[in-house]
Amino acid sequence: MHDKLSAALGLSKADYTEIRLEERDTTTVSFRGRELENASSVIDAGGIVRCFRRDGGWGIVTFNSRDQLAEKVAQAYECAGNVKSETPIELAPIPVVQDQITVTLEQDFRRVSLAEKKALIESYNALMLGYSEQIVDTVSVYNDSFKHVTFANSEGTRIEEERPMVAVLCAAIARDGNDVQQAHESLSLPAGFEIAQNLETLAQTSARRAVELLSAKSVVGGQYPVIINPQLAGVFIHEAFGHLSEADFIYENPAAREMMVLGRRFGQDFLNVFEDGATPGLRGTHKYDDEGTPTRRNDLIRNGILVGRLHSRETAARMGEQPTGNARAISYRFPPIVRMTNTAIAPGESSFAEMIKDIELGIYACDAYGGNTELEAFSFSSGYAYMIRHGELAEMVKDVILAGNLFATLQNIDAIGNDFVWTQTGGGCGKGGQMPLPVAMGAPHVRIQNVVIGGA
Amino acid sequence: MEILEQLQGQAEQIEVLQLQSEVTTIRFESNVLKTNQVEETSGLAVRVVKAGRLGFAASSDASATEKLIANVLESAAYGDQTPLVFPGALPAPAVDCYDARIPELPIARLVEIGQEIVAYLRAVDPEGLVDVDLRRAVQQTALRNQAGAEIAVTRSPFSIDFGVNRVKGDDVLMLYDALGTTLWDEDYMTPVRRMGKHLRLAQTIVPARSGRMPVIFSPFGGLMLTYPLMVALNGKQVVKGISPLAGRIGEQIFDTKLTFVDDATLPGRYNSAPYDDEGVPHRRNVLVEQGVLRGFLYDLKTAAQAGVESTGNGERGLFSLPSPSGSTMCLSAGETPLAEMLAGIKEGLWVESMLGLGQGNIISGAFSNPLAVAYRIENGQILGRVKDVSLAGNIYDVLRHVAAVSQETEWVYRALNQPYLMLDDMNVVAKG
Repeated sequence: MHDKLSAALGLSKADYTEIRLEERDTTTVSFRGRELENASSVIDAGGIVRCFRRDGGWGIVTFNSRDQLAEKVAQAYECAGNVKSETPIELAPIPVVQDQITVTLEQDFRRVSLAEKKALIESYNALMLGYSEQIVDTVSVYNDSFKHVTFANSEGTRIEEERPMVAVLCAAIARDGNDVQQAHESLSLPAGFEIAQNLETLAQTSARRAVELLSAKSVVGGQYPVIINPQLAGVFIHEAFGHLSEADFIYENPAAREMMVLGRRFGQDFLNVFEDGATPGLRGTHKYDDEGTPTRRNDLIRNGILVGRLHSRETAARMGEQPTGNARAISYRFPPIVRMTNTAIAPGESSFAEMIKDIELGIYACDAYGGNTELEAFSFSSGYAYMIRHGELAEMVKDVILAGNLFATLQNIDAIGNDFVWTQTGGGCGKGGQMPLPVAMGAPHVRIQNVVIGGA
Repeated sequence: MEILEQLQGQAEQIEVLQLQSEVTTIRFESNVLKTNQVEETSGLAVRVVKAGRLGFAASSDASATEKLIANVLESAAYGDQTPLVFPGALPAPAVDCYDARIPELPIARLVEIGQEIVAYLRAVDPEGLVDVDLRRAVQQTALRNQAGAEIAVTRSPFSIDFGVNRVKGDDVLMLYDALGTTLWDEDYMTPVRRMGKHLRLAQTIVPARSGRMPVIFSPFGGLMLTYPLMVALNGKQVVKGISPLAGRIGEQIFDTKLTFVDDATLPGRYNSAPYDDEGVPHRRNVLVEQGVLRGFLYDLKTAAQAGVESTGNGERGLFSLPSPSGSTMCLSAGETPLAEMLAGIKEGLWVESMLGLGQGNIISGAFSNPLAVAYRIENGQILGRVKDVSLAGNIYDVLRHVAAVSQETEWVYRALNQPYLMLDDMNVVAKG
């Protein structure tokens, strides 16, 4: 394969050319209620050629049929000539590498039968259905995929990598009259079949929470001090702040550049935020990104001050900074763009008990059901929540949606917990039509003052 | 497609779907013409029913036919037992969805259109950064099954997605819109001019006030109300009994001013086609008629579960099983001119777009969203943009009484046609 790639790359007339080929086998088993919806395997194979011309722009060709690579390279060159970037594209230099990354799975899911995968997820599904008569519906999904990626560029880099991923999702829907509530829990890791096993607690938690939400009252909208749990804090830092750290948002935008100027104070001294695509075993971890840049830890906020951002080779060159290993693509159908890997709020010193004790009336918001941001403005639905009354957790409430302005909210963080955890749920991050990209989010409990809670 | 023949005798029912498409994209990023991309896609998806069980497999690897066949048979060994029946050869309405002018549009013409859009929006606000994606495609779908269906449809989707973002200090304004068609239409500037209007209006920022007040939802902002409805009308939610509308056909659920229709047979719309992705002819489906619930959206499987006929709403990608999906959704026009609606408001809010669509407990009809672009209305005039405002409610409460529906309707989000809606007593929450 390397010979074919080298031959095709050798014919390119572009200033830079890369080829990424992928073969992926995916197996999914899903239950909806008592019914098995799907137990199937799909095969996806294809490739992408991406090149640029200094007198043009980016030319990209994606394809399923991989037998005429030289023609695809020529077609991409032609595409690159159809456009005209006013500022010529440059790529920040990275080391040329030849590497092969293979994985050893504890229990290789490619050798586990469809019957066994079905039996496993069926058992979790049955736990949820059997939890209560109020559970009227469920969604239980087992998914594994094994991807083989070959990357080669005109600078001489050749990387072959195996990328496994396993995911289990358990969602429960409970109903009482017209009131319908749902809860879900999931786990996903770049690992073997073993991580999908022994997840009974995960299934039970999902069912229990859906039923509990039936007796929860809607929260009364207003401004509250809020403690967010590590999962919600992780989603918050990823969605509301992490996306602003992606240099492609700002590198051609003078005003956004000013807003995200390094050295700007974003929070109090104890606020530290980082990105790390190199931590072993996390969903967003790879040795190299999809441009062949080695991944590493990148501090984004240190002691409350903005100190870094995430780059592809193109954005790094444009801004005169170093590539950070954050150019990622979900598949061969897409070019790599600036993405997060594993994003986190570093642990602080407060215990949960210290954080809650002086809140007279507040909210403890847990998990995120969805989040949305448009630069400074964000909105998150929490999965479930409790009122905090007189320094203690009180009744469960529902429909808790946190909204606000990122800058004000980060400044309003007044305590960071010492109970850091990585959240590795299924699904992933979406950007530029590329969804879902596996990422991890990490955080401890975080307390924020004056959060606007939208209530029904 | 010899796969159908190879599987003959190994299963009672067999369906082979072959997808082939070529999409050409021209992309402007931050005003700059940056990328030209060509995506060629081809693949096969196979469904079989064997011993009453449904199996599914798909592949984009043309050399993996044997594995594809093995996968689909293994899948059927554990598959779903819904008694679904693949349709035979059924006549479909003639639906215009291919126009040779689209695949023949020269790249240079796409570039020119993009430049025109960038220039127009830059003229309105020189500080705005404009992104435009222009996409022309040819999609070929071929479906065959053992019952005799043999359908080949070619479509020519064309779309322009465009947006502006403008940062001034810590104020960020982001506008987004998209148009889509399958028949070439020279009038691509209408939604661009609409965005220009909002770019102008959004330049003035005024304080917001919390409280109960009348709210106008623009066709774009109105998705906040119609989105939970679309979810509840989906046959999948209905047969599972979790749609709050299940079992309520014939009931008055909304104000008589509201009629909601799904229609994939409209000529030239972005999702128009003669057949759905299971070989069922498309048709016009009236879902809500003058506030009365009339129907749901079904594919073959959910229809079989509900004991009704498919409404022709089976939609799928190469790698997924079909599921019910709306095609071209239309909320009918009303009787009030927009100008009159606006003139009658002493103090109110205009909702143009929201953040976080689909958040919260959507299936229950609840919506709760911070607003991305909203304006304060005073004495019949738009005063300026308000920030940090959110709106919450439940569509099954708030749409029982709709104060007014505009005569004007607009196409938004490529395939949704809606009028302006006025609700006269909404709870507006403003921060500060």
